[in-house]
Amino acid sequence: MSRIILTGIPVSSGIAIGKALFMNRRLYERIPRQSIAQHFVEAEKSRLKQAIDQAAVELEVVRGQVPFEFKEHGLIIDSHIAILGDLKFRNLAFGYIESMRINAEWALLKAVKEMEKKFSIIRDDYIRQRIQDVRLVTDRVQSKLMGLTHEMQEIEGRIILMAHDLAPSDTVGLEVDKIMAFITAEGGKTSHTGILARSLQIPSIVGVKDLDETVEDGEFVIIDALKGRILVEPDEDELAEYIALQDQFEGYQKTIVRNCHLPAETIDGYRVQVQANIEIFEEVAAVLDHGAEGVGLYRTEYSYMNREVLPSEDELFEEYRDLASILSPAKVVFRTLDLGADKFISGYGALDERNPALGLRSIRLCLKHRDLFRTQIRAILRASTAGNTAMMYPMISGLRELREANRVLAEAKAELHEAGIPFNEELPVGIMVELPSAVMTAELLAKETDFFSIGTNDLIQYSLGIDRTNKHVSYLYQPLHPAVLRSIKHVVDAAHQNGIEVSLCGEVASDPFCVPILMGMQIDSLSMNPQAIPGIKRIIRQTTMDECKELLRRVLECRTVTKINKLVMETIFQRFPEELAFYSSLLDNEDFV
Amino acid sequence: MTDQVTGTDNTVSAEVRVGNELGLHARPAAKLAQEAQRFDCDIFLVSGDQEVDAKSILDILTLAAQHGGRMQIRATGQDAAEALQALTGLFKSRFGEE
Repeated sequence: MSRIILTGIPVSSGIAIGKALFMNRRLYERIPRQSIAQHFVEAEKSRLKQAIDQAAVELEVVRGQVPFEFKEHGLIIDSHIAILGDLKFRNLAFGYIESMRINAEWALLKAVKEMEKKFSIIRDDYIRQRIQDVRLVTDRVQSKLMGLTHEMQEIEGRIILMAHDLAPSDTVGLEVDKIMAFITAEGGKTSHTGILARSLQIPSIVGVKDLDETVEDGEFVIIDALKGRILVEPDEDELAEYIALQDQFEGYQKTIVRNCHLPAETIDGYRVQVQANIEIFEEVAAVLDHGAEGVGLYRTEYSYMNREVLPSEDELFEEYRDLASILSPAKVVFRTLDLGADKFISGYGALDERNPALGLRSIRLCLKHRDLFRTQIRAILRASTAGNTAMMYPMISGLRELREANRVLAEAKAELHEAGIPFNEELPVGIMVELPSAVMTAELLAKETDFFSIGTNDLIQYSLGIDRTNKHVSYLYQPLHPAVLRSIKHVVDAAHQNGIEVSLCGEVASDPFCVPILMGMQIDSLSMNPQAIPGIKRIIRQTTMDECKELLRRVLECRTVTKINKLVMETIFQRFPEELAFYSSLLDNEDFV
Repeated sequence: MTDQVTGTDNTVSAEVRVGNELGLHARPAAKLAQEAQRFDCDIFLVSGDQEVDAKSILDILTLAAQHGGRMQIRATGQDAAEALQALTGLFKSRFGEE
């Protein structure tokens, strides 16, 4: 047995085996606390000043290396440099050295504590959380004072990089070829670390509790980023097991990635578009690397979040234009703002709603805040000449809402005309079908829109009336429930009868058990996270439309979801045993693998 | 915005309004502190019973000044008048934000 097993959120899949090396370990417990003699006070102050200045110079250097695609990171680094330059803060720390006659490290720690106190009473969430920036930059200074290297300049051999948290400035200039995996104690699904790891295609687990306290430098660890587990000091059996698994996984990855640019075409010649869901510009590399035929869902919320000022129309335009032109001639579908429920931005904070999922969110919020909506639409329109673009509205409940959104679009077009700003007059505008009401009126909606995109994550929740994150009812989250299947089929048929295309962009699109059924319905396009694309394409390329249709026919004859799941699992397991070794499916939300 | 100047020991002050849609957040705070640091005089921002150093980004952040909030800029020292003009100018231009 390994010494201990830690768990976290896997954000980039794979297996890594090797020695751990920490950077930015949370320094708090290890900071030396000493009193000093009066005649050392001045020397201690200049030691602190030097450490701060050095840290600032380092950040300036890092700042200069930030590539254009990461310009938001550059702005974060700018504010970090400004904090290091804050004389008041320096003087606070100097003051502790003088008045308490303590060493620089302790004084700096006290100054941070004092700032924490000041910040803790600030009501504004965004500003209150800036204390994180203060901690991140002062940790850098502490490392200097304590003679620790903050950067990983001298890595011996290949290592598994661990950190309490990784700031964008920490990862610029890392010797990435020496890093086998990224592990952090902080962070969630959308953290910077995950994005970086995915683009480097190395395993990563974030949000690992007790990481700092548990793992020592040089300890041998196994990173299982398929399941989100870290085995510290594993035994020989575990090691043998994981070496085999790693081999198998990497072999499989190589094969599927090698062939990921081949079209997703069945053996009998039926072609389906496979596209990517992304939410930040930087993911564009992953889109191109994984054989996506465009972006089927660009979630536009990210550029509005985690920032103090709403983006201007120009800023949005530049982002959209860059994305469209890089991917051209491949298509990018911009989904207009889908805020509310679980995502909020400054100035449009959480309302006091009893039932936010059924409240003022998504297109409803946009139609209520017309300026916010129009600014985004204008930006999308302006970017429409830069490549192959389309736009879609989320959460449309019926015709009236669609027409209202289109009115805002028409106003924006008229404004641009008047100002002589060019845009694509024929920009395709579609809707997300994710409410049962939109499913039931799909025939009507299809006559007034250019395409459908079925958002199964929400559709399943709204159709079955369950909140997937509520552990009491999450077992009811069943993508292949007869009601869900009939809904999807109804929408696909309604689209095709009216001559428009239909895509599907929920998690179902990347579930190997669900894809053959969707193929049987003759869905036009599937959009999923980029990393899932090679595997799904490979499955599609090994199947035939006939067998997909046959599976769909049999599935539709089943009366219960239990029966459907059993049938589908047996059929797919038998058909694609090799592919399924590394997948977990949505079908079974109890643990199975 | 009313610019006003008082004479005692070379202290000048002016009242300003936070025009940025989302208040004095990190970026405007950094700009303000940076600009204030160019001058030798002491510069304070006074809002309600809070008085903070305009040369400190962290101090400015702790004001958590919201959109539409009013505050006084007070500068004391040789180049106080120029400092006041530069800083009120930043507020007027909304720190270059939309």
